Amino acid sequence: MSLSMVWLGVGFGLITASVLALSSVGLTLQFGVTNFVNFAYGEFLTIGAYLAFVLNMGLHLNIWVSMFAAGILTAVVAWLFNIIVIEPFTRRKAPMIILLVVTIGMDLFLMNGVQALFGPEFKQYNDPSGSILHVGGLLFTVQQLWIIGIAAAAMVAVHTLLKYSKLGKAMRAMSDSSELALISGIPTRRITQYVWLLSGFLGGLSGVVLAINVNNFTPALGSEFLFVIFAAVIMGGIGRPYGAMLGALIIGVAMEVSAMFFDSSYKTVVAFAILVLMLLFRPQGILPSRGRV
Amino acid sequence: MATPSKDNILTVNELKKSFGGVHAVDGVSFEVPRGSITGLIGPNGAGKSTVVNSLSGFHPVDSGQVTLDGTNVTNWPSHKIAQQGLIRTFQIARELQRLTVFENLLLAPQVQPGATALEAIFSRRKIAAWESKTLGRAVALLKRFNLFEMRDEYAGNLSGGQKKLLDLARALMAAPRLVLLDEPMAGVNPTLAGDLQAHIRDLNREQGITFLLIEHNLGIVEALCNRVIVMAEGRILAEGSMSALRENKDVVNAYLGG
Amino acid sequence: MGAIIYYLLTLAIFFAIYSIYAWGLNIHFGLTGILDFTYITFVAIGAYFAGVAAMGHAQPMGMGGEYILGWNLPFPVSPVLGGIAAAILAALVGFVGLRRLRSDYLAITTVAVGQIVWLVVGNQTSLFNGWDGISGVPQPFNSSLFHLSYNQYQIPFLVICLIVAFIAWRVAESLTESPYGRILRAIREDEAVAAALGKDIFRYRMSAFIIGAIFAGVGGALTVEYIGAFNPSGWGVLETFIVWAAMLVGGQGNNRGMILGAFLVPVLFTEATRFITIPGHPLLMESIRGMAIGLLMVLVVRYRPQGVIPERKRVYRLNLISQETEDSAHGHAVEG
Repeated sequence: MSLSMVWLGVGFGLITASVLALSSVGLTLQFGVTNFVNFAYGEFLTIGAYLAFVLNMGLHLNIWVSMFAAGILTAVVAWLFNIIVIEPFTRRKAPMIILLVVTIGMDLFLMNGVQALFGPEFKQYNDPSGSILHVGGLLFTVQQLWIIGIAAAAMVAVHTLLKYSKLGKAMRAMSDSSELALISGIPTRRITQYVWLLSGFLGGLSGVVLAINVNNFTPALGSEFLFVIFAAVIMGGIGRPYGAMLGALIIGVAMEVSAMFFDSSYKTVVAFAILVLMLLFRPQGILPSRGRV
Repeated sequence: MATPSKDNILTVNELKKSFGGVHAVDGVSFEVPRGSITGLIGPNGAGKSTVVNSLSGFHPVDSGQVTLDGTNVTNWPSHKIAQQGLIRTFQIARELQRLTVFENLLLAPQVQPGATALEAIFSRRKIAAWESKTLGRAVALLKRFNLFEMRDEYAGNLSGGQKKLLDLARALMAAPRLVLLDEPMAGVNPTLAGDLQAHIRDLNREQGITFLLIEHNLGIVEALCNRVIVMAEGRILAEGSMSALRENKDVVNAYLGG
Repeated sequence: MGAIIYYLLTLAIFFAIYSIYAWGLNIHFGLTGILDFTYITFVAIGAYFAGVAAMGHAQPMGMGGEYILGWNLPFPVSPVLGGIAAAILAALVGFVGLRRLRSDYLAITTVAVGQIVWLVVGNQTSLFNGWDGISGVPQPFNSSLFHLSYNQYQIPFLVICLIVAFIAWRVAESLTESPYGRILRAIREDEAVAAALGKDIFRYRMSAFIIGAIFAGVGGALTVEYIGAFNPSGWGVLETFIVWAAMLVGGQGNNRGMILGAFLVPVLFTEATRFITIPGHPLLMESIRGMAIGLLMVLVVRYRPQGVIPERKRVYRLNLISQETEDSAHGHAVEG
């Protein structure tokens, strides 16, 4: 093993970790508040990526502008998803197991919907920023630095939101106990809707940066990445955003470092192995258990 | 210090359990004499529910020891504790909705032919014979609890009070050595509460079934229990007959002073 | 044999096989409440192992490609092996995902396992010839007994499928209508109550998960011995949810409902749409079919969660209660 290869892997790992951090924080925040796993979450990534494709290739917008707009549009998609699909079930207190069946059914629906519209072939963005920069002995393209920067900014924004805003405090309260939150006068339905907006925004953004990072993509983009997101979320303790950030960092780096030494088509196997080990030995996540969030 | 003895079906010794730094149960010791109806009372947040869940294996304890009829069952999984003869009921009746009343009862016996997949496929005659025998016991219990007319109804369609009765009948169907009743009267109308009270007393007298009764309604506790344990803030505050406890200053303060 | 008759026989064979799938998934979800989002992976593992067990030894650089085993096993043995392979995979998945009392962790595990197995089977060519898949799986009894042409073979194979399906039906019914099935349904309704009555939740859920997977594996074995070939494009994500939709539409918890569901969704819907062509990209019809299956699942749980044939209510005949004697032999549930 050469140290320089490890170092190179760490560089790639930071980029994958950035993509993963955006998506796993989006998933885990929604879980914390609503208390069920959204198996259609991968499609938020796919929808974001294809919306950005339309804006970038169809309307010839700059890729980063397209990304931001796609994030906002995906937020609206997620908000509608909650109102149209999920709320009829939560209103009549459907058991969690039914909600999971509903989300996986919607996953199939949305994935095939994107495929029906755009076809199964590979797509690519038009992005001219290709020059390579040296940062601390690591090689990055300008694109990749953007990805890391965007993820870092988003994480700071999420932190600020949770820590200092009224919305963030309400989310944390609901995450601890939604019944208590309801009793103490928190408008839980509205907060839930905000969380879906946020979850969709982060999912959409991460879909675009994932598509940029893998260069070309198909409608399976998000659903193939979903269990890697699960691995990061469970590693950090399901429902805990800071844990998800840590999980994303560890899994992103582990996947890319391993890709330096093994067949790179197997790098998701590393995420899978981590997921299995976590479920076997520490299903509550690596962070010490205290209140969530 | 409580020491396990032959006369006590349950002995709890220095039980401790905390959640995220809060000591829900902080060194609790008591015993339940065989054949008794023992009461466990205390204001909200006293730690009664935590004791129930710890005794029945629904969450692990931090330290301490639980001895059930001479066997150390501390931190056993809930199904093993039930197999050992401690059957609990639930504060909010948890009926098995899409099983009929009869099926709820048939579920309870510990040893059943056909309870494994292989037996289910290959021993159908034995199952039929067992079921027809067991149904007789179920009918007797349902008649006693006035649920006989509802026998083929889905449990989810029963009224709140009937669900409570079903919960108790199902526990008895398991032929328990000790029944842990977690607030059986909560949400039950006074008439039905009186019925439940009579059932518990009769079962205790006729069949010698031991009960540990967690209850808020002190009148019922007084009527049923020869011995009552009072908890407050995760500890045992006092122990004795209800009338003696009514004179106890600490107990009165814990209830009234909040 | 006319083309129409040939086609109808093909449909009948798939109908029988999909009924077996639906009974298996019903044991997972309908009876026990286990969320298995990768049922088709158990089908595939059963198919691959049965296939390579029935095939002859792989020839170096030969036409059939690379694969393991190649034991030339005769018919009833190869599907048994397929069932065992699926059972072992289920035991491994269950060990990871079923130990906690959280239904979502198993669901997550199945999603991840489905993708990983697909990836490994595709990339590790030495297992089952990778993305190209195995081909040339011998037809049961044909070279030894029947010596029929491919067309003529339809009828004997349908008989084989019906025999296997009948056995599967009997097993599924025995399990459902027994104390075992009652305990599984109790776990589905409220696992805490079942545990408080002394039922070992992990053991029961694990055994149900394994048994359901055996149904999948045996059905997969029949599929591969019928088609003669199998590759990763034959067991995509959509295949799992076709069985899910069949189970939900038919009526979860009811084995008769599974037969109806297998007829309505995989046979009628999938086959009827096979002949529709619409202008557009090559996967357009396939995508629309996927959308329809996903939407169907959501609509059924929204508007008719019990399915077309709801779970039947078990009513006990009181005249069969024995007076503490063991004289009656038929005191079990009768249909109400």
